[in-house]
Amino acid sequence: MSYPKPPTWASRFLGWFCDEALLEEIQGDLEEAYYHRCERLGQQQARRLYIADVISFFKPYAFEKYSRVKQFLPMFDNRFKIALRNILHHKRFTFINAIGLIVGISSIVLISFFLNYELSYDQSTPGYERTYRLVNQYRDQVYTCMRFPSYYDSEGDNQMAVLEHLDNYPAVEKACHFVPSRSAIGGGGKIFAYVDDQQHELENILFTNTGPEFHELFPQQFLLGDPSSALGSFSNIILSESLAQRWFGPSWSKRRILGKTVQISEEPFTIQAVVADARPNTHFDFELILLQKDIPSWAAYTYLQLNENNDINGLLQQLNADVDLFYPGYTEDVLSKGIDAVALADIHFTPDMLYEIKPIANTGYLSTFGIVAIIILLIIWTNYANLSVAMYADRQREIGMRKVMGARPQDVAGQLLLEAVGLALLCFPFILLIVSLSLPHFNELMASEIPQDLIFSLPTIGGLLLLLIVTGLISGAYPAFVYSTRKTMHLFGQGLGIRFASRYLNFRNSLITLQFFLVVGLLSMTYFIYQQMNFIQQRDLGFTKENMLYFEIDGAEKFRALKAQLEALPEIQAVGAGGVPGADMYNQLTYKMKDTEVTLSDGTQQYIGLDAVQTLELDCPACDQLEAGKEQIFVINETAANKLAKIKGVSPEELVGEVLVTEPEWENEEFGYGVHHTIDGIIKDYKYFSLKYPNQSLLISVYREPGWVYEMMVRSNTDDWQTTLEKVKTAYSQVETERPFTPNFLEDRLRQLYESEARSGKLVAILGIVAIVLALMGLAGVVAYLAYRRQKEIGIRKVLGASVGSILLRFQREFGVLLLIAVVLALPISIFLATRWLSDFAYHIQPQAWVVAGAGLVVLLLVVTVIGIQTRRAANRPPMDVLRVN
Amino acid sequence: MHSLGNLEETILLLVLAMDEDAYGFSVSEAYREHMGKTISISAVHTVLARLEKKGLIRSELGGATSERGGRRKRIFTVTGTGETALAEIKASRQKLWSRIPRLS
Repeated sequence: MSYPKPPTWASRFLGWFCDEALLEEIQGDLEEAYYHRCERLGQQQARRLYIADVISFFKPYAFEKYSRVKQFLPMFDNRFKIALRNILHHKRFTFINAIGLIVGISSIVLISFFLNYELSYDQSTPGYERTYRLVNQYRDQVYTCMRFPSYYDSEGDNQMAVLEHLDNYPAVEKACHFVPSRSAIGGGGKIFAYVDDQQHELENILFTNTGPEFHELFPQQFLLGDPSSALGSFSNIILSESLAQRWFGPSWSKRRILGKTVQISEEPFTIQAVVADARPNTHFDFELILLQKDIPSWAAYTYLQLNENNDINGLLQQLNADVDLFYPGYTEDVLSKGIDAVALADIHFTPDMLYEIKPIANTGYLSTFGIVAIIILLIIWTNYANLSVAMYADRQREIGMRKVMGARPQDVAGQLLLEAVGLALLCFPFILLIVSLSLPHFNELMASEIPQDLIFSLPTIGGLLLLLIVTGLISGAYPAFVYSTRKTMHLFGQGLGIRFASRYLNFRNSLITLQFFLVVGLLSMTYFIYQQMNFIQQRDLGFTKENMLYFEIDGAEKFRALKAQLEALPEIQAVGAGGVPGADMYNQLTYKMKDTEVTLSDGTQQYIGLDAVQTLELDCPACDQLEAGKEQIFVINETAANKLAKIKGVSPEELVGEVLVTEPEWENEEFGYGVHHTIDGIIKDYKYFSLKYPNQSLLISVYREPGWVYEMMVRSNTDDWQTTLEKVKTAYSQVETERPFTPNFLEDRLRQLYESEARSGKLVAILGIVAIVLALMGLAGVVAYLAYRRQKEIGIRKVLGASVGSILLRFQREFGVLLLIAVVLALPISIFLATRWLSDFAYHIQPQAWVVAGAGLVVLLLVVTVIGIQTRRAANRPPMDVLRVN
Repeated sequence: MHSLGNLEETILLLVLAMDEDAYGFSVSEAYREHMGKTISISAVHTVLARLEKKGLIRSELGGATSERGGRRKRIFTVTGTGETALAEIKASRQKLWSRIPRLS
């Protein structure tokens, strides 16, 4: 027989599951078949068929016969009974364990939901791996949108230039563009629609002139109407389901809404379809899709899908080589620095791009959440393991008994593991309950829209069960291993508990130290985050933000009329035009001093009224020139002044009177190049943008009477905003009849800038508290157990004359050492993590070591209290009661 | 009277035909030869076990060969009941065939 034996692992597998009575003939048959097939089909094929045969025998027919199962079943039954008895006997430990597991794992489930929600952004779009958004670098900023070739003549044909060019590349399967009105390039603000002579406000229209392509790239679910006819022609609109409900009530589908005419911005449109709302975790959304030849913007978000097996880099190379064909003069323009692409699924995570539609995710926060979830899991596991060790220590005799009766090590281990896993699984329904109850609140906290039915989906249920089983196994593994391998006689011996190599370096102490470490670290991190949020909110922004109202207004005339009316009110202190701080970053421009060569590219230009400077109480000495009669002045802020002065080698004050040139690359007839401004003064820095960015260079034109106004601010000294707001509204309605009054408070707007930070901070704080409470609960359980175990020792100490206080101190000291080790370990790690988190902010606190030490102290106090309460009872018992026991 | 499935009937026939040399592997080979399609050994085993349970065949161990790594085979032989059952099936089929008037 020249052929090697059939695969041994398969034979062994067969031997494992197969009934012994059948094994011989089956093995014989299979081996005979194998050698026959070697002759007939070759060795490889024979091996494969052999394995297939073995697997095909894996069915009840061949399984070990019932005789064995019958022996096993009563054992199994007994195990369950004992497990249940033990769980009920140790009510206190069971309760602590179960509560810990339920709360901890529920938090972990919620965090995983959230991470999954964020990380799967845009992945519901079919073919998202091949879909890209084109972005354009201009000056030092990357624009998330593609501008139309001409800013001034932005009409339908001109707007199609980029897309039409993309059609030339075989690598591009399809391309589309759109502009949501709520985005920075969509103009924002409210748009009014008239349906059946009723006025409705619209906040987010999606404008597109590439309807069919839009539907191909981002397929919409049509609830009513037909895609091809709805998307085919201009002047059609497609409602989202929620808008249809808002306009036509819950039974919109029964009313004949298709074909209805809607007036939007004085133009008629026909309702052609209703689609499902955009999924919450996509990077854009809309109330209504409006098909129009001319998109009302200077740019559009542009997307393309590649054909399969095409590389985006190749396409970008070609595109940048051919760029002059659709953007005339692009390569000659020094400011245009090339077209790039962002993969669809990366849009939500790409920071520092201009005009993104929705706020992007901060990956730093996401990983923080993930880390906290892992910390909670570790705490649960250590708690569970600690408490199991404690619980099982009482059961040595029971285990010894089992061994005497013939239980093998694996039987003992199985019993202990079964109990650990069983208790974990008991928590399953409670976890589902807690998660479903808290999900709505969680969604509110994190501004997410995680669907409730995700809880009862297969991956959640399966993952949760797996997590619970693993939790049970991990925490049961240590005691199961130790007890099952122990010599039977030792189990009956006097040695109580598990004996360890050393008194201090043992399993339980390492777990407790790990817990202390996690809690101290988490507590310090939570405090750092809290400190930073406070720091930001209380920082001097350089302007007055209290009691400030702002709203939109159409034009300078209406503004002046309203201002006159408002200033007559005694409670109004100031009214100003433009320059509302707390803005999103917008396009920057280049600037230089006329007589130096270096050009800077981080300038932000602003046009505001003198009254705005006064309303915000900005520190602008030069503005006196306006009051003296000048019509307009040009000031730069300290940041810009310092930069320019450094280049020029003079002091910032000496720049006053010099000429600054903005956009020096732009050739024109008036100045030759750029726009020339004589600097009239320097304005003190104030935080026009979020504190996340460092100070920006502001180039501000201040007007005595601004020529056009679109937003205004009102400062009041009122205590009763309700009445004042009514008065402002009345005055407003006398000036403006078309646009409704939409007031906001400046403080709210500023708070919104740090909303995502505040949300994340809150979540970390809540999770931190959960983790700390869990850890303390576990600790309380262990201490209670230790005190109980050491009753005798305590009794003897008391007999020999020790006081209650000295006994308490003894206990505390042991934990104190562990805590000290934990603080020393936590110190560098939490400082490091905090520094990384804070580096996201341009203005931030310095993480201080004393915070970590303080956190250690807080934990110490909590631990002392817990130990005190738990040991007091044991220490206060009359020693005779304890010593009499045996 | 047990009812017999199609595969059961075929295998019972094969066992009868093979006379003293029917065991798992040889039956599956014979099946391949006569029926022109393969059958897995595990399927043969299950059918044989079922037939034995119905009392249509009986088995005994014997005949170890080196080809089988020195393991014994379970040799199957058809019992009297088995032969009767086959005969009955054949008779009833025959009756049906005879009712069909013209068949080339």
